[in-house]
Amino acid sequence: MNGKKTISWYLFNGVKFREFPILLYILIMVLFFSFTTPGFWAVRNFENLSRQIAVVGIVSTGMTLVVLTGGIDLSVGSILAFSISIGGRGIPLGRPMWIIYPVILLLGTLLGFINGVLITRIAVPALIITLGTMNIFRGITMVITRGIYITPIPPEYTLIGRGYLPFFFLLIVILLFMFVTLRTRLGRNIYAIGGGEQASLYSGVPVVKYKVVVYTLSGFLSAFSGLILVGRSGFIQPQAGVGYEMNAIAAVVIGGTSIFGGSGSVLGTFFGATLMGLILTGLTMQAVDPYWQGLVTGILVVLAISLDSLRQIRGRGQLISKR
Amino acid sequence: MITFDHISKNFPGVRALDNVSFSVERGEVHGLVGENGAGKSTLIKILSGIITDYEGRIFIDGQAVSFRSPHHAQSLGIATIFQELTMISELPVFENVFLGREPVLWGGIVDRNSMREKSQKVLRYLDSNVDPDTLVGRLSIANQQIVEICKALVLNAKVIVMDEPTSSLTEHEIERLFSLIQRLKDAEITVIYVSHKLEEIFRICDTITVLRDGKCIGSVKRETSHPGEIIRMMVGRSMNERFPPRERKQGEKLLEVRGLSRKGELEDVSFSLYRGEIVGFAGLIGAGRTELARALCGATCPHTGEIQVGQKIFCGFSHPREALQAGISYLPEDRKGEGLVSCLTVRENLVLAILREISSHLWLNNRAESKIVDRFVKNLQIKIYHPDQVVETLSGGNQQKVVISKLLATQSEIFIFDEPTRGVDVGAKYEIYKIMNDLTQEGKGLIFISSELPEILGISDRIYCMKGGRLVKEFYCEEATPESIMYVLTGGK
Repeated sequence: MNGKKTISWYLFNGVKFREFPILLYILIMVLFFSFTTPGFWAVRNFENLSRQIAVVGIVSTGMTLVVLTGGIDLSVGSILAFSISIGGRGIPLGRPMWIIYPVILLLGTLLGFINGVLITRIAVPALIITLGTMNIFRGITMVITRGIYITPIPPEYTLIGRGYLPFFFLLIVILLFMFVTLRTRLGRNIYAIGGGEQASLYSGVPVVKYKVVVYTLSGFLSAFSGLILVGRSGFIQPQAGVGYEMNAIAAVVIGGTSIFGGSGSVLGTFFGATLMGLILTGLTMQAVDPYWQGLVTGILVVLAISLDSLRQIRGRGQLISKR
Repeated sequence: MITFDHISKNFPGVRALDNVSFSVERGEVHGLVGENGAGKSTLIKILSGIITDYEGRIFIDGQAVSFRSPHHAQSLGIATIFQELTMISELPVFENVFLGREPVLWGGIVDRNSMREKSQKVLRYLDSNVDPDTLVGRLSIANQQIVEICKALVLNAKVIVMDEPTSSLTEHEIERLFSLIQRLKDAEITVIYVSHKLEEIFRICDTITVLRDGKCIGSVKRETSHPGEIIRMMVGRSMNERFPPRERKQGEKLLEVRGLSRKGELEDVSFSLYRGEIVGFAGLIGAGRTELARALCGATCPHTGEIQVGQKIFCGFSHPREALQAGISYLPEDRKGEGLVSCLTVRENLVLAILREISSHLWLNNRAESKIVDRFVKNLQIKIYHPDQVVETLSGGNQQKVVISKLLATQSEIFIFDEPTRGVDVGAKYEIYKIMNDLTQEGKGLIFISSELPEILGISDRIYCMKGGRLVKEFYCEEATPESIMYVLTGGK
């Protein structure tokens, strides 16, 4: 370091995160709903909210890693459905939970791995590949299950979906991946690949390997959030997770991660998911027509992406990395 | 016809054009020559309306004009045929000819028949048997060029600018192009012919203007000049004070390349590099220097040949990582795209190639990281506020120092510097030369690729000349002169 630390250095160094504005929006929404919506502060409501955030939040964490490398994973919802529907077929046969859970997680991991291999082997954008696998995984699920629910399921499976437990798991996932992205070699390489794939390759970064790793992690996290979804709902549904990819991408982008890769954070995604959850529950409690929800999410995403490209333009004046 | 009046253009860190003034007469073929980076393409981009923010004025027939867009330049009668042709390969010839200016019938319906007829007429005038209905993508490069000329004529262009038009043509096609240019000249159309092949320039140009380092050195009539004079104008500049003093010493052999070939890029390249040596590679754009560097650093894999590093023999590397492990590191020509991850910080970029070394298991060792970063920032005098400064915000010279630090951190023995001083100001250039000198003092070997002859001459111990993917000549520093090298590169034997 070259000795001198100017005042602006201290200022910039203090405000190191770009998640700050979202935190402000969250605060505004909380204030807004607490004045306009009776019962917003009820304990029950927060439990609901926390559980709603948890499933999408965990999927979004995986999505964040993928988007940071400059990719995208549209198949997360299908991976979720595939893992719980196929893995859960052992439940009616009376297989114990300590076999079912690992099988579900393994299935998700495997599908994510397949995504990664396809994306790195075939020179086609991840968007197209995962659009394909999204339909393939969902298709296989429907063919095998013939669209039939698995219900009832033994009570031990709902344990994971009770009370604040889903939120607790979300927090663990978030903290773990915050650490991974900020402190490990994997994390550093993820940012580098997203920021400049050629430059990373020339610096000897095993680009292909790390790309496969992020899609695999995304698959694993999708399956994991599937476990929580099963716990919450109490049955297994082959149509589970439809549209999750959009919610996840929304959370990632609203959380300030650049859709072009290279900058953003897992913490931001957590805030993004929270903000979306807040707005959606708030709207529901205000008895707003549920059809409005999609509209609101859409507007949020467009706003967030415009902010991102604005940042790209103005980013040239920015001195210190605000990751 | 066209007068350039004190045209200047700055890019971040470089002055691409510096008060360029000259005139082009009506109906002449005007040659524009200069080394790579002399400012030719910037000037063309201004003339064709791609670059619109420049200083100075351009007059056409005595009237000051300022081009707002390529479309505007065309409507003022200036058509440019770029080296990379700008046509849409999925569309037929006649639609390309009228692209952006389609004649319409009432109701906005495109008048395909008249487009086809007019194209056919002009093509026939140009003595071409190209069918207007063929898709442009199916045509040879030479025929695509003819379509571009046809387009220019349909636009009623008074001036046609050709940027290196012969770079991918065969002998026969070149002859045809020249007779076409003669025909244009007879029709009072002015041609600005950009090339660094002097042979061609002297065959068809009436007047020749030489650019060097963004300055206009002068315009001469063909009859009163000769290639020797032009070469002197292109390269002649004083070399004193521009390069740090260098002590020469040659150690044991570090690298030997034997018969390296890659289809379409390299042909039977063999050379060696010794400890303490800087070996320069001179050549024009497309001579295969960067391709050679890419094959050596593992970005591409050669088809035949072998690379011997110390005692180990490789037949190419399949990943840059392997080359790094063998001790070869590469400073790419394209700093923004291949050298740096621009949105990351100085610290993150600097250690990108040694993440494995500074991490224990999976975790990064932040203290080791900071130590390395601080050391390089200090040793190479990189001017930054803080290691967490985003690398994009640095000046060209400091960015380049970050890339160099990244390579130095890998502890490689062999360094390939591809255009290390491009987009860097004069002071920083000197510092980069010094870093190169220091490296060789420590016994490393350096391969130095540059399109600027003076720096190749000023700092290399030996110089290889490349042309068409081959090594055509080797010079020792003492026997090389700008003229002799330029002579080899521009076509002499």
